[in-house]
Amino acid sequence: MARLPGSYSAELPILVVGTDHHHALLELRERVAYDPRETEDALVGLIAMPEIEEAVLVSTCNRTEVYVRHHDGLDAFQQSLETVFLARAPEIGEEGRFFVKRGDAAARHLLSVAAGLESMVLGEPEILGQVKQATVMAEQLGTAGAVLARLARSAAAAGRRARAETQIGAGAVSFGYATVDLARNIFRGLDQCSVLVLGAGETATGVARSLLERGAGELRLANRTRERAEAFQREFPTAQVLGFDERLGALEAADLVVAATSAPEPVLRRDDLEPTLRQRKGRPLLIVDLGVPRDVEPSVGEFGNVFLHDVDSLKQLIEHNLKRRREEVAGVEAIVDEELERFAVWFGGLEAAPVVAQLHRRAEEIRQREISKHRSLFPDTTHDQLDVLTRSIVRKILHHPSAQLRESAEQENLRHLAALKDLFRLDDNESDTK
Amino acid sequence: MEAVLDAAAVLLPLAYLLVAVDYGFLFFGNRSFLPGGSSLALRIVLVAHLGYLTLLAAHFQHFPAANVSEALSIVAFSILAVYAIVEWLGNETSTGFWMVALAFLFALGASLMSGSTPEDRELFRNPFFFGHASLALLSSAAFAVAASYAFLFLRLYRELKAGRFTLFFGKLPPLEVLERMMSGALLVGFIALTGAVVTGFVWAFQVVPGEFFKDSKTVATLVVWALYAAVLLLRRLRRWQGRETAIASLAGFAFTLFSFVAINLWLSDFHSFN
Repeated sequence: MARLPGSYSAELPILVVGTDHHHALLELRERVAYDPRETEDALVGLIAMPEIEEAVLVSTCNRTEVYVRHHDGLDAFQQSLETVFLARAPEIGEEGRFFVKRGDAAARHLLSVAAGLESMVLGEPEILGQVKQATVMAEQLGTAGAVLARLARSAAAAGRRARAETQIGAGAVSFGYATVDLARNIFRGLDQCSVLVLGAGETATGVARSLLERGAGELRLANRTRERAEAFQREFPTAQVLGFDERLGALEAADLVVAATSAPEPVLRRDDLEPTLRQRKGRPLLIVDLGVPRDVEPSVGEFGNVFLHDVDSLKQLIEHNLKRRREEVAGVEAIVDEELERFAVWFGGLEAAPVVAQLHRRAEEIRQREISKHRSLFPDTTHDQLDVLTRSIVRKILHHPSAQLRESAEQENLRHLAALKDLFRLDDNESDTK
Repeated sequence: MEAVLDAAAVLLPLAYLLVAVDYGFLFFGNRSFLPGGSSLALRIVLVAHLGYLTLLAAHFQHFPAANVSEALSIVAFSILAVYAIVEWLGNETSTGFWMVALAFLFALGASLMSGSTPEDRELFRNPFFFGHASLALLSSAAFAVAASYAFLFLRLYRELKAGRFTLFFGKLPPLEVLERMMSGALLVGFIALTGAVVTGFVWAFQVVPGEFFKDSKTVATLVVWALYAAVLLLRRLRRWQGRETAIASLAGFAFTLFSFVAINLWLSDFHSFN
C-alpha cells in the first residue's frame, strides 16, 4: 500500500493526489483520464467516505488530480489514491508515478495548475477553463463545499491575473498560432488578410483553423485531390476552393500563403512568382511553407517584401516565445503567492468565529465566578441589577475586539487570531483563570 | 525669472530621461514604474516643456528659436508632441521608448548648449521669422520621428526576413503600421520644409537679395528638400517599398543632422544662429 510521504502536520485540511506528464507516460495517463460521467461517479464515491468532507476531480489529457478536504489526512490519501487511480491502473502506485501534496502545498498546486505553471506547454490557456469546469461540476454535485469552491476561485483568479499581468500566455507555441503571430507582425489587421492555402491535409487544415479563429478574412484553398478539398470545405464552408493550377493566379490577391502539400517538388518557384509579384506592386506577402520536403523554393524569400518561413523558422519562433514565457515564471509565482495568502486569510476568517465564541465563554466564566465570589457583599435586592451590569460591561469590553478580530482575519492575516489565542490561552484548560 | 529658466533647462532633460526609462520598462518588461503610468508622465512633461517655452518667449520677447539651444528644445518638444498625438490616436505605447529617447537626446543637447542669452535682434520679432523657424523646426522633428519609425521598421523587417526573433518581435506595431507612420511623418516633414523654404526665400529676397544662394545652410536645406522630394516621388510611383523608404529616411535624417550641426557650429555666415 502506498504511504503518505512525511508526517501529516499541515493546518489546511486539504490534500491533492494526482499524476501528470511529469510522472506518467501517456499510456498510463489515458487509463486514469475521467470523462464527465466517470468524474461524477468518482466524486460521489469519494464524498461517501467518512474521512472526506469535499472533493474536486480535475482530469485533462495531461493530468488527473483529486483535491479533497478531509478529517484524516492519511485515510483520505489512501482512499483517494485507491478510488481514483489504483482501481483503474494499479501500476500508478509504484514509486514516482503519482504525487501527493498537502496543506498549503496542495492549495498552491491548484493555483499553479490554473496559472499554467504545471502545463506541458508553459502558460497554455485551456487549463484555466478545465479547472473552472471541474469546480462547477463538483459544486453542482455538492461535493465541493465552501473551502474547495473558494480555493478554486482563488485558482481562477491566479490564472486570470497570470495571463493579464504577465506574458506567461504570450506568443504562439503551435504552428497555427505561430503563423498568426507572423501575420500580426506584418499586416495591419488579420481580418483584412486574404489567405491562400495550398494542400488540404491535417497540417494545412490546422493552420487554417487557427487563422480563422483569430479572424482572418478571405480563405481560399488550392488542392490537387477533390475529396480532400471537399472535406476542407465542409469544415470551412466560407472557403473558396480552386483548382491546383489556379494557385499562381490566386497569389496576386493573397496576403498570406500557407503551403502544406505532400508534393515531392516545390509547388511555388521563383520564376513562377516573379511576374505575379510585379502585379502586386510591393504589397507584403507572407509565405509559410510547412511542407517536408519544402513546397516553396527558398530563393523566393529573396524578393523584397516577401517573407518566407519554413518549419525550422516557425520552430525558432515557438522556442523564442517559450523562452519569453519561462522568463515570466517568477512573476506568475508571485501572483500565486498573493492569491494563496488571500485564500489563507479567508480560511483564517473561517476560524475566527469559534475563537470569538471561546473568548466570550471564557469572559462569562470569569464574570460568573467573580459574581458568586463577591455576591454576598451586595444587598439581595441588587443581585439582578449586578448581574445585568457586569454582563453589559463584559459584552462592551469584548465587542470591539471581537469585531476587529473577524475583520482582520478576513482582510489581513491570521496574526491577530494567533495573538489572541496566545494572550488569553484559549486553547488551555480553565485552571489558569483562577 | 532667469533662475527658473536655468533650473528648467537642467530639469527638463532629466524629466525626459525618466519618461524614456519608464517607456523602456514598459517595452522590455511590460511594466511601468511611474505612478499613473508612462502616458500620464509624458503628458506632464509635455505641459512642463510648453510652460518652459512660454516663459522663454515671455522673458526674451521673441519666438524661442533664436539660438541652437532654443531650436533643439523646440525640436524635442515637437517630437514629444507628435508622439503624444500618435499614442493618443492609436492607443499604441509600444514605440514610446524610442520616440521619447530620441526627444531626450534633443532636450539634452538643448540643455548642454543653454546658458548664453540669445541676441536681442529685431529679426527675431519679425512674423516671417516665426513662420520660417517654426516650419523648419517642425520639419526637423517630423524627419526625426520618420527616422525613428524607419529604424524600427528595418529592425522588424530584418527579423521577419531572416526568421531570427529577438526582443523586438511581437512588441512593435506591425510592419504596415510602422511604414504608414514613417510615410506620414515624412510627408508632414516635407510639407513643413517646403513651407520653411518658401517663407525663407520670400524673406531673404527682402533682406539680402541675391546673397542667400551663397549661404551654406540654404544650399544644404535645398539638398535635403530635393532628397526627401525624390523619396516621396519614388514611393508615390511605387518604385520604392517600405525598406528602401526606411533606408532613405534614415540617410536623409543623418544628412539633416549633419548639416544642422556642421553649419551651425563650424561654419559662420549670415544664416547661422551663431
